[in-house]
Amino acid sequence: MLEHDVLVVGAGLAGMQAALHAARQGVSVAILTKVHPVRSHSNAAQGGINAAMEDDDPWEDHAYDTVKGSDYLGDQDAIEVLCSEAPETIIDLEHMGLIFNRGSRGQIDLRAFGGQARKRTCYVADITGQVMLHVIYEQLMKAGTHVYEEWFVTSLVRQNDAVCGVVALDLRTGALELIRAKAVILCTGGAGRVYEPSSNALICTGDGYAQAYRVGAPLMDMEMVQYHPTTLPGNGALMTEGARGEGAYLINADGERFMERYAPNMMELASRDVVSRAEQTEINEGRDIDGCVLLDVRHLDRNTILQKLSQIRELGLEYEGVDIIEEPCPVRPGMHYMMGGIKTDIQGATFVKGLYSAGEAACVSVHGGNRLGANSLLDTLVFGKRAGESAVLYADGIPFADVPDSRLQEDREHIERILARNGDDGERAATLRLAMGQTMHEHVGVFRDQKGLEQAQATIASLKERYANVRVDDTGKVFNTDLLFALEVGLMLDVAEAIVSSALFRTESRGAHYRTDFADRNDDEWLKHTLVFHAETGPRLETLPVTITQWQPAQRTY
Amino acid sequence: MKYAFFPGCVSRGACPELMQSLTAVAEHIGMELELMETASCTGAGVISERNQKLADALNARNFALAEQTGLPLMNICSTCQGVMSGVNERLKARPEYLAEINEVLAEEGLSYSGKADPRNFMWVLVEDFGLDNLRSLVKRPLSELNVAPFYGCYISRPTDVLGYHDFPQRGVYLEMIIEACGATPVDYSGKKKCCGFPIITMNRANSLTMAGNHVGEAADKGADFMVTPCPLCHLNLDAQQPDAARVVQTPLNLPILHLSQLIGMALGIDDAALGLNRHVVSTNPVRERVHALPLA
Amino acid sequence: MQFTLNVRRYDPEAENPAPYWREYEVDVPENASVLDCLIHIREYVDGTLAVRCSCRSAICGSCMMRVNGQARLACATKAKDMQADGAAITVEPGGNMPVLKDLIVDMDVFWNKIRQVKPWLEPVQPVPEREYLVPNETILDLTVAMNCVMCGACVSDCTSLEVDKNFIGPAALAKAYRFVDDPRDDTRQERLEELSEYGGVYDCTHCFFCVEVCPKDVAPLDRIVEIRERAQNAGVTNNAGTRHAKAFEGIIRDSGILDEPMVLLKSIGMNPVEQLKNVPGGVRLLRAGKLPLASGPFHHKIPGHDNVKRLFERVEAVEEAQPAQGVKS
Repeated sequence: MLEHDVLVVGAGLAGMQAALHAARQGVSVAILTKVHPVRSHSNAAQGGINAAMEDDDPWEDHAYDTVKGSDYLGDQDAIEVLCSEAPETIIDLEHMGLIFNRGSRGQIDLRAFGGQARKRTCYVADITGQVMLHVIYEQLMKAGTHVYEEWFVTSLVRQNDAVCGVVALDLRTGALELIRAKAVILCTGGAGRVYEPSSNALICTGDGYAQAYRVGAPLMDMEMVQYHPTTLPGNGALMTEGARGEGAYLINADGERFMERYAPNMMELASRDVVSRAEQTEINEGRDIDGCVLLDVRHLDRNTILQKLSQIRELGLEYEGVDIIEEPCPVRPGMHYMMGGIKTDIQGATFVKGLYSAGEAACVSVHGGNRLGANSLLDTLVFGKRAGESAVLYADGIPFADVPDSRLQEDREHIERILARNGDDGERAATLRLAMGQTMHEHVGVFRDQKGLEQAQATIASLKERYANVRVDDTGKVFNTDLLFALEVGLMLDVAEAIVSSALFRTESRGAHYRTDFADRNDDEWLKHTLVFHAETGPRLETLPVTITQWQPAQRTY
Repeated sequence: MKYAFFPGCVSRGACPELMQSLTAVAEHIGMELELMETASCTGAGVISERNQKLADALNARNFALAEQTGLPLMNICSTCQGVMSGVNERLKARPEYLAEINEVLAEEGLSYSGKADPRNFMWVLVEDFGLDNLRSLVKRPLSELNVAPFYGCYISRPTDVLGYHDFPQRGVYLEMIIEACGATPVDYSGKKKCCGFPIITMNRANSLTMAGNHVGEAADKGADFMVTPCPLCHLNLDAQQPDAARVVQTPLNLPILHLSQLIGMALGIDDAALGLNRHVVSTNPVRERVHALPLA
Repeated sequence: MQFTLNVRRYDPEAENPAPYWREYEVDVPENASVLDCLIHIREYVDGTLAVRCSCRSAICGSCMMRVNGQARLACATKAKDMQADGAAITVEPGGNMPVLKDLIVDMDVFWNKIRQVKPWLEPVQPVPEREYLVPNETILDLTVAMNCVMCGACVSDCTSLEVDKNFIGPAALAKAYRFVDDPRDDTRQERLEELSEYGGVYDCTHCFFCVEVCPKDVAPLDRIVEIRERAQNAGVTNNAGTRHAKAFEGIIRDSGILDEPMVLLKSIGMNPVEQLKNVPGGVRLLRAGKLPLASGPFHHKIPGHDNVKRLFERVEAVEEAQPAQGVKS
């Protein structure tokens, strides 16, 4: 019998941080991940990680910028934790071996990022996430933590109101196993693949959202979907906000720095929801270049580009055939990040006993309606650590649950039913996903309204029906990636449904959620979170008050 | 067609037949060579592991000496080519570094402009002399002979440093020359891999396994002999071949010719002038077959 | 645009598992990557095709495979650049690692080598309260190695690994460099010593395959050469590699031109067994009229060799005058 006191699902930054800190408490910890840890999507965070590192920069200022960025939907107790623990988190990382870029005294250098009143972003060129992921993985190798590499959770096991393990598929062998755990921490990342296009990796299929949701843990603020202002039109790849931090312009077809009209003070460095909406407005009103605006760094020093923005230069060359040193690069808003997620408290605990979550999978909520650039990496480490430690406290002293074999059998039968449909009459998972993604992008993107949302709701419902007939070509056991994808699409449809329902529910505009039919923020009725619960009859919606400590809601201008 | 001729070390050391055959071929095709007698070794990628700047300075000095002649620089060794191209790239990319190096050269009254374009004999032959011209001079087409090309690492990679962007066919010049000589190139997986020479003193078994694998594979694919533009590869493939055969536990007996020897045979130059008797693996079987071929 | 892909398939669950080729025609956008083509095949043509992939933008390192014979990230390789007139694009799993299924190889081989170099920082004590102070130039230098995405392209095409599985290999050595040159690491000397042993930096042949195939410009060979330089300067000299480099340097310094027999003798050092191994080769060279008799004290020198010697001295004098940079805490 496979069993661990604490089982972490997902090996991005949040997952590895949770596992490292749980393991330090001396309990049995393992990580289960569907890809090797360094393939995780934390890699994609290019620009940096925020922390009030300088003596004249109190963490409260970082917290205020975060609260304002969230459009006052972030829970301020959580934001206080995030920002006050940021500097020590950075120092811990540095001592682990992170190679931050340095200033003239050899101290950690800071760069400007969107939505913040001053430079506060620690960075490694434009590969910050990649370097962090690799350095934390170094620590995981040093600690010798067990990793179930290339395993996929098919479902969480819940008994007597508590989660007590997972059923998981070993992708290498095709074996389906029950892994018992006293506590499970979901660090499964975001759900970019619910949208098409998206800046996210192919693995970002929101598995954790759906699995938590299905065992009764509510998802919070799922309507808050961040569109990043600078993604490439070709494949949706991300061009770091660090480029604008270093001084890049956004220009429209007329050569105008159009942000002057939307955010006269912060210009290109206004918060992401503001910039993406401005771009989409320019595009919708015809001042676009083939559906894009232009990211322009030509006025920047060549060495700055080569040293600090080398990766995005490569991306421009690789995917658009544009050398950003010579010419501006077409970009457009692209689905990028889920502010919403599995509702947790500031210790990472969900509404279900034994189930914890951190990182993009979770919603604490520190990002509210809009996440500031370079706050996501911080979120993963601060709350990954807390989730790891509190899961150990919970697991300490409780026994492993008895799980009947029938529980494993349920998932086995589900898989066998899919494998049995390998004829020509079933539906290809890819067809369903593409239809879902395009619908979500069209109706649940930068601008939304009731009519479009209802249409999306109907489409998702019909896709769920069609999914009952999903088929695969591959009936083998070893690396059956065909089956894996079919399972992922089933989970994604639940996530899409939760997003659409939440977006229909919130009849106001706040942060990334902009309803053209309810264009104003409505603090009287909607200064609160949306909570969506899984029910037989479909999503059930509730609200939860926002925690306000020291910053009262105010009008938001940049 | 006149060149500042950088001979490297091995053509004046363990492979005198390379110098001999190259000189004979150059004379035959009207290529004038001004021997750079005072030029030093390039460092062969070894001195750079002791001191990169030193290796760069040595090569800058050679480039400066070539510039004094006003002639384009030609070498006859894949390794020399690779080292020269690599150093040149570094010096060209950073003018301030070139200036530092020039300070060191100044004592000898030398200065390097950064504009040299060092090229191997193989490149010069195709790019300057031309294969049509070569074909027109071939006296004895080497028809019926199957020849395995062996490039050497330093002239094959990194392609962006070696000018493959501007000359994409540099990766198939050997095959083109083999064909121009009337012979048939043999395709095999080892033709651009390492011969093993650089680690012969550090890891003899690995080095000889590499040499043995490539020679064996080429022979299996029907090669009558192998040809290489690199004298260092030649040392490992020819001089070490008996030991390599023992390591890979396969009988090997494949003659290894320098590029200039292949061309010389096609041009009808005397065997003795090509130094074909100065090989460890006898070239007699090849010579006999070539002499049996009709003159064009 | 139409592309033809010839894919090397392998199904371990087949009755008699053996690799085979299967050709696919795909119609995808003109700027599609090879990975886009493979995903198209998997999603709409043949779901049994197994391939690892994730980010699609050359940062996760999942989709390393051989395209037209060379290790590449499929996501960073344009199909139209690979399709020569009429010929199919060949797609195969990476080399030097066992194939598990189709394009998926067993990366444990790769990661075991990474683990071998103890790839984590052993911090210099005492650990400061704030960050270690490090010059930015050092960080920029380390960033080159940290660019590595662990895709395994260099390992796939490494010619030393091909003949000796004990070679630590280019990726792990580049990773090692990242700690050797990190002034915050306390185990530099031990690392340099271990890396100079069998399987380490001196088993690299300088074949440049790792430099050529690396999709992230890590240039592992350059890192290997730098480790050799660091090790020799740190007094890790009791190995054939150092003796070879030293002998080579010394001879060039004195004469400007190589003396092959002397380099060989000095590299082998005072080891009669190893020396004996080279006797037959020497005899063969002599008999073929190849061995320069003017070796050792009789070795000829290039005209004006004194100029070369003075050049050595000048460069060394300039370097000594420059202050070394290091860690401050």
